[in-house]
Amino acid sequence: MLALLAATPALPLDEAGKYVAGAYVVFLALIVVYVAIMAAKLQRIERELNELANFAEQGRPGTPGREAEDVPVDVETQPAAVSDRNLTPSEAAAGRPDRVQGSADA
Amino acid sequence: MYGKGLRPLSIATVAAIVASLSLVFFYAPLDADQGFIQKIFYLHVPLAIVALVGFVVGGVFAILHLRSGDSRWDAYSYVSIHMSVIFGVAVLVTGSIWAKASWGHWWVWDEPTLVSFLIVFLMYATYYPFRYAIEDRERQARYASVFAITAGAFVPLNFMAVRMAESLVHPRTFGTANGGLPGEMMLTFLVSLVAIGLLWTTLVKFELTAKSASGQLKRLRRALDAPSPGGSSRVAPEVS
Repeated sequence: MLALLAATPALPLDEAGKYVAGAYVVFLALIVVYVAIMAAKLQRIERELNELANFAEQGRPGTPGREAEDVPVDVETQPAAVSDRNLTPSEAAAGRPDRVQGSADA
Repeated sequence: MYGKGLRPLSIATVAAIVASLSLVFFYAPLDADQGFIQKIFYLHVPLAIVALVGFVVGGVFAILHLRSGDSRWDAYSYVSIHMSVIFGVAVLVTGSIWAKASWGHWWVWDEPTLVSFLIVFLMYATYYPFRYAIEDRERQARYASVFAITAGAFVPLNFMAVRMAESLVHPRTFGTANGGLPGEMMLTFLVSLVAIGLLWTTLVKFELTAKSASGQLKRLRRALDAPSPGGSSRVAPEVS
């Protein structure tokens, strides 16, 4: 890269160079401003999408698996799933519980 | 849907711009008359050509919208014109800088090329208030399409009229009897033209993708009957 730069002719950045640089900088600035506006627009879309996802989750609490989504679950502190552990005598008498305490309410 | 192919297009655009700048500053010879100032030509002229073609493309999309009634074409037309107006700003600013450097004035009012481009630009600047003044979306799209077609037809007519007019100071680079640019300059110019054309296409696609995402979000909000956030009563065309 340095060798390439060394081989290239020096740019005549005198009086004319300022105008040329100005023209190209103006063009670059326009593009940057446009991209910044678009980035802000995309951020708004993302925020609205998050709001909508929260609204959908709150509006349908009975939807399977909804409660557990987006909730950080510490695997080590969670009790084992029903299928993975032995049932206590009272659970065995009452039948398997529908939900495991703590897994979805965390 | 609109985002498909955006990534390779963006990469191609960046590569073309880098190639173009390299050719402009390290390959193209200095102009015998203007010297280093002439480097603005490789930015200013492609921007002007792409902006004017973009206005015409906006008119073509508007014809498709009126023929089919499909709101997607209206969105294409709107975004094409929007992008060309932004490029038009760049044309006017870079042209003024060039004029100041080579003629000593920021603007020359009796030069047909400059004034005609300003007229085209100002005409398209009225597109936004004209469009946003109409609340009903269907009427808004229809009237905007009529505007885009009429103005799009005016652009080539205006261009031809300017070419036939007698120029005072603005050069007619591609119309000289000797064939215009030498080979190295022509190659640099063509690469710059491709780069700016790719940039226009990428930004149009980028904007359409954002509009599509925004439109789908609104549809989802309506389907879920969710409350709409403040400040979202936009009148720009929705893309589904």
